[in-house]
Amino acid sequence: MADSINNIIQISGLRKVFSDGTKTVTALDGISLEVRQGEIFGIIGLSGAGKSTLVRCINLLETPTEGSVIVDGKDMASLNEADLLEARRKIGMIFQGFNLLQQRSALENVCFPLEIAGVKKEDAKVRAASLLETVGLGDRLDAYPSQLSGGMQQRVAIARALANEPKVLLCDEATSALDPKTTLQILELLQKINKEFGVTIVVITHEMKVIERICSRVAILAESRVVESGEVSEVFRHPKTSAAKQLIFPQGEKIETFRGGKRLLRLAFDGTTTDQPIVANMVLSCGEAVSILAADTKLIEGKTVGQMVLQLPENESAAERMLAYLDQENISYTEGE
Amino acid sequence: MMDTKLLTLVGSGFAESLYMTFFATLFSYVIGLPIGLILAITSPEGIKPSREINFGLGAVVNFLRSVPFIILAVAIIPLTRLVTGTSIGSTAAIVPLVVAAAPLVARSVESSVKGVDSGVIEAARSMGATTWQIIKKVMLPEALPSLITGLASATITVLGFSAMAGAFGGGGLGAIAINYGYYRGQSDIMYVMVILLVLMVQIIQKIGDRMSVRVDKTIRESGSAAPEDNNTEH
Repeated sequence: MADSINNIIQISGLRKVFSDGTKTVTALDGISLEVRQGEIFGIIGLSGAGKSTLVRCINLLETPTEGSVIVDGKDMASLNEADLLEARRKIGMIFQGFNLLQQRSALENVCFPLEIAGVKKEDAKVRAASLLETVGLGDRLDAYPSQLSGGMQQRVAIARALANEPKVLLCDEATSALDPKTTLQILELLQKINKEFGVTIVVITHEMKVIERICSRVAILAESRVVESGEVSEVFRHPKTSAAKQLIFPQGEKIETFRGGKRLLRLAFDGTTTDQPIVANMVLSCGEAVSILAADTKLIEGKTVGQMVLQLPENESAAERMLAYLDQENISYTEGE
Repeated sequence: MMDTKLLTLVGSGFAESLYMTFFATLFSYVIGLPIGLILAITSPEGIKPSREINFGLGAVVNFLRSVPFIILAVAIIPLTRLVTGTSIGSTAAIVPLVVAAAPLVARSVESSVKGVDSGVIEAARSMGATTWQIIKKVMLPEALPSLITGLASATITVLGFSAMAGAFGGGGLGAIAINYGYYRGQSDIMYVMVILLVLMVQIIQKIGDRMSVRVDKTIRESGSAAPEDNNTEH
């Protein structure tokens, strides 16, 4: 096939079943997807969807129960032990918890995969130092992980993953332990690596913003299956499945399952209230949704004037909290059936 | 009793105790360290799980650990004679000391190695490390501070056992304490021996603690705390 040449990773019919004798759990159920040479591919799913198992089936840290995983033309499951170890050296991996050797300095950590591959010590040191330079830690070669921030540790881990010039870099929730600003910096670094080194990157995450930021294509994983996949813009603009909608509009699901009570409330806005979003704030502070049955409000010179009919939630205590909130904010309302 | 005679007595007892403790600990590690490693890597969550090996080895270790030292020492006298040609004296005492301490060492090593973050081991596997490379370059170096603490405990345990060995011809400070202090009723000598043993234990513990801290790179020197992410990265 012409286009399979461009696929650096080809997963077909992948199944993974865990069994401890009495219980069996199907972690992956008939996964098929392909990752193209040179792209940043995202796999997103809620926790328990099977993402971590899926990424570990790519470098065979987990052995697939059924199906095939082909990376750079090699059928991973069919390799013998020595060839598998060799193949893994060409697949870098970074983790949520960084997983650096705590008793080794940054430089020694980056040397580690080179030692494993049998590179001479002096050569390894030179290469490791230049990689740490690339990830922006050229001045912290001798620092130990305990002396580095989370973002810096992940940079060391990235340098380490690149040491043996991998064709693929697997990122398992690599930014989930980092604050938003550091997350962006790490994502930018991954993008830079993708461009400059031509490394294909597979990103596993539960965070939408990671996918939006750096991925070109995405697969949505839910309940052990790929439920949607394609270009990020396409999948995110027109999510078809409820799993996809839940990831993309995390609040959407709640409103669909809104159980309205009988109590209706008519709010009157006479322009004297502040310019706060009253209804939204009430919903947020009370932790329950309301349904807007009718609204006829206008913005006149920046003031909201008009009225709105709300259906309060079935949950009585939440409904009472909402009334208390409105009293506190001096919003006039009347209650009716 | 004359002072010089007492000093000679204490000096030789001290030397015998050191001799027994050192060699018994050394051989306990020669046997116990590999067994501990095998127990760790063959455990269900280890890198080479094997129920048979883990269960079999674990059973032997547990059996030896559950026999009281005095009884074990008497029971293996034939083995002691086979190895050393005698069943009396400090060299002979080393055999039961090793048989009793090696299982403790194995469990101590096992627990140190199991304390290594499984994520770090997984990272090494993802890089294509062989089992032996993981043991040599990940497990042992990462567990080193804990292994040193374990070594201090093991040495102290062996020292305690060696004092017990004094009761049946093993020599050392324990023998002096029981022969002079108990059988002859010279309680002052017994107290001197007890104080010496306590001092030895304290010194071994202190050395172990110091070394463990010194090699441990996860303990930062004061004033060099890890930077926060937001204010240090550009």
